[in-house]
Amino acid sequence: MAAWDSFYRQLVTLEGYKNVLKGLLNTAYIAVFGLLIGMIIGCLLATTKILPQKKWYVKALSRFTDCYVALFRGTPMVVQLLIIHFVLFPALGIQISSVIEAIIAFGLNSGAYVSEIMRGGILSVDKGQTEAGRALGFGYGKTMLKIVLPQAIKNVIPTLGNEFITLLKETSVVSFIAVVDITKAFQNIANSTYEYIIPYIVLALCYLVVVLIVTGLIKLVERRLRAGDRN
Amino acid sequence: MIEIKNVYKYFNTLKVLKGVSTEIKEGEKVVIIGPSGSGKSTLLRCMNLLEEPTYGEVWLDGKLITPPDPYLHREVIEASKTFVKLFGEALEQNPDANEEELRESVYLSIRQNDLLKRHEGRAYRKALKAIAEENYVDINLARRQMGMVFQNVNLFNNMNVLNNLIAAPVGLKLKTKEEATELAMKLLTRIGLADKVEEYPQKLSGGQRQRIAIIRSLCMEPRYMLFDEPTSALDPEMVGEVLALMKELADDGMTMVIVTHEMGFAREVATRVMFMDEGVIAEEGTPDEIFRHPKHERLKDFLSKVL
Repeated sequence: MAAWDSFYRQLVTLEGYKNVLKGLLNTAYIAVFGLLIGMIIGCLLATTKILPQKKWYVKALSRFTDCYVALFRGTPMVVQLLIIHFVLFPALGIQISSVIEAIIAFGLNSGAYVSEIMRGGILSVDKGQTEAGRALGFGYGKTMLKIVLPQAIKNVIPTLGNEFITLLKETSVVSFIAVVDITKAFQNIANSTYEYIIPYIVLALCYLVVVLIVTGLIKLVERRLRAGDRN
Repeated sequence: MIEIKNVYKYFNTLKVLKGVSTEIKEGEKVVIIGPSGSGKSTLLRCMNLLEEPTYGEVWLDGKLITPPDPYLHREVIEASKTFVKLFGEALEQNPDANEEELRESVYLSIRQNDLLKRHEGRAYRKALKAIAEENYVDINLARRQMGMVFQNVNLFNNMNVLNNLIAAPVGLKLKTKEEATELAMKLLTRIGLADKVEEYPQKLSGGQRQRIAIIRSLCMEPRYMLFDEPTSALDPEMVGEVLALMKELADDGMTMVIVTHEMGFAREVATRVMFMDEGVIAEEGTPDEIFRHPKHERLKDFLSKVL
């Protein structure tokens, strides 16, 4: 029980829970805003791949997307984080809080993944739907907006949820640039008591609970969207 | 009137259409038959530009919906550098020849031998642009005139029946929601599916879906209807109801172009039957001429297999 007592002392008596809550909040910030930025970037990148590849600038943008995706998928997240924190931002003379740096890094990274997810989602919609829209006199943009995208988004929700969960768990690497997230908070408790078992198991449970909650939310959204089909 | 002038369509190296010219006049019901791979669907899809012809032009009611084809316009060819060069050479060789005749022969040789190059100078570009501008029509406006019914139906899966029907007229601001709904309900009642108005397409049978797809096109009040094998993907017992609706449309005087394998229907409804083979119109005529007195060997062979 000594292990439990020292964990309790650190967490409650010495107000370690404040750090834990702060860490949890940081984790949530980075994951949520990271995904938001990722979705904006991802949609823009996917658009360049979906547009008819006729004009030279569409082709150029599509090449850019290829390079972007290759770069961010081809290097580890930690390395990207380190480069942004220690190389890129100092070189540009930008000084902002590490949390925002982490949000930007995760946003850029998940943009690459989301673009592929979105592209896949749009391609998964039968070509006949586009043709029917065009044949009725809708332009390319309106066909996309009214017919293809609503169906694509429905197809994409489960994969996008998966991406969010992956992102959420991957934020545990932000301690590399001295952001206190939930992992770092528990690490601090463990280090100051030399008792590792309980803090790390509790940490794992924290992640598990958050992920289960998120999974439930995704299922809820999915069911809402699918409701239209069965009506 | 839909005019198809010398249309070629290549998919990379595969030549699907090899010079098709025809006219679809108001009130005609043209049925296109032919073996699979003969280019009938491609020809139909060229009419509303779901496929862009590689060469040739498609005109709708006197407006050009494809880019102009230089080979179809003498003034464009005569403005080209190639023409100027060849004409100069020809004039040098036979200085005594009649100039008009010489122009004619150079023009014909350019046309026949495909001599135009990618860049033919400013005069050529200007002549081409003038034709494009003079006869320009926005393709999206042109398509409103032509309803299209697909083999695999393609109702919008994310909308219920009513929204499928009113999406285009309301979305393109041609009608208010009330007007569009009224017309949609009238048509739904006519085909006996008014009770399905709230259903999603996945819930309907193949025949019901196809009939709704037909009236979805009618909700745009088109002047032409294009049918791309509308019954080929249906269960046999559903075919009749779809053909009956098409027959009704024909009796109402709609101009129709129909690609189909239903020879009985073709015989009954068509004012003209077109037999396509290997990318060209091999034979055309009244149903009687085509089905009773086929001339072309390939047509006889085809009919013996399908009848």
